[in-house]
Amino acid sequence: MQRAIAANSEQITRLDARLGTMTGFLTPTIFFRMTLPAQQQAFREGLRAGMPSWFGVAAWGLVVGVAMIKTGLTLWQSLGMTLLVFAGSAQLAALPLIAAGAPVWVIFATALVVNLRFVIFSALLAPHFSGLPWRTRAWLGFLTGDVTVAIFMQRFPDLTPDARKLPYLKGLIYPNWSSWQVGSILGILLGSQIPTSWGLDFAGTLAILCITLPLLMNHATLFGAVVAAIVALLAAHMPYKLGLLLAVIVGMSASMLLASWKESRLKDKS
Amino acid sequence: MSAWEIWLVIALLVLATVISRSTFWLVGDRIKLPAKVQEALRYAPACALAAVIVPDLLSVNGQLQWDWHNPKLFAGIAATVFFLIKKDMLLTIFFGMVIFTCFRLWL
Repeated sequence: MQRAIAANSEQITRLDARLGTMTGFLTPTIFFRMTLPAQQQAFREGLRAGMPSWFGVAAWGLVVGVAMIKTGLTLWQSLGMTLLVFAGSAQLAALPLIAAGAPVWVIFATALVVNLRFVIFSALLAPHFSGLPWRTRAWLGFLTGDVTVAIFMQRFPDLTPDARKLPYLKGLIYPNWSSWQVGSILGILLGSQIPTSWGLDFAGTLAILCITLPLLMNHATLFGAVVAAIVALLAAHMPYKLGLLLAVIVGMSASMLLASWKESRLKDKS
Repeated sequence: MSAWEIWLVIALLVLATVISRSTFWLVGDRIKLPAKVQEALRYAPACALAAVIVPDLLSVNGQLQWDWHNPKLFAGIAATVFFLIKKDMLLTIFFGMVIFTCFRLWL
């Protein structure tokens, strides 16, 4: 994600001229009406800031699309899942559980836990938009994923009201959603043409691996994840996949214990 | 899983996404998360993902399989090393699939 942001500034200047004409055409007709030039400009600025991440988002959608259809979901189920859910890591985490026939509520609980990071992100972002009607807020929240939050917070670090914030956010989230869906649908269609014996659903497992690894970059989280993995293995034969939830609770507690232990040691030293 | 159960799962995944993404946008000014809860929230996703993925890598057709005859295990380890060096998600997925396919075909 950081690399994508770093790449932004380089590409912005290069793409500026080309985009100027493109978005000038797109903005009023397809996306929404904006009368004030400052807001229109903010929308285009959002588009440009998000642009370097479009390809990555689409490719990531493609992997999830392939994984869904190769897990055994039908074409319509896969399309329904991508168009309605729009949460890659929760979808990917749900797939092995669907394949294993886990109870529906366990899949729901797992998706909630995997999505918990969005709670933190939305707590950061939502105060910028507290003045808007509730429907708009619910909608914006639903469309706002990881990449968007990072780019937005970099552009508007302060909570001061600014009329450009909303169009800027829309410039980020609309193309992000579209890239995801294009990639995902392409993945579903491609995946349906490829024999199951190729084991392409493994791409989904690798994708979860790639989301998990960057999360493990501090000791407490790494420790908790290792504990959770061990508990999940030991409890693999518990009924209803309950071992998974047990693993999350034990792992989380392990993380917090290690963190508070390290904190108290720091205090002792100082 | 039957067709209607899968649609139920899809509906619940939508709900899980709405709850996690939109709650703060709707009632954020009325809730203040205690520091301890925020901390717990930070650790939970990594634990959940690890708890999903490790048993998945270690099992073949629902049975635990620890040895080198499990292509997922070997490709998973190779992909982990690759990702830690290259830090590139898409390249890692591609690399992991290549290793996985070689193992699947020749071992």
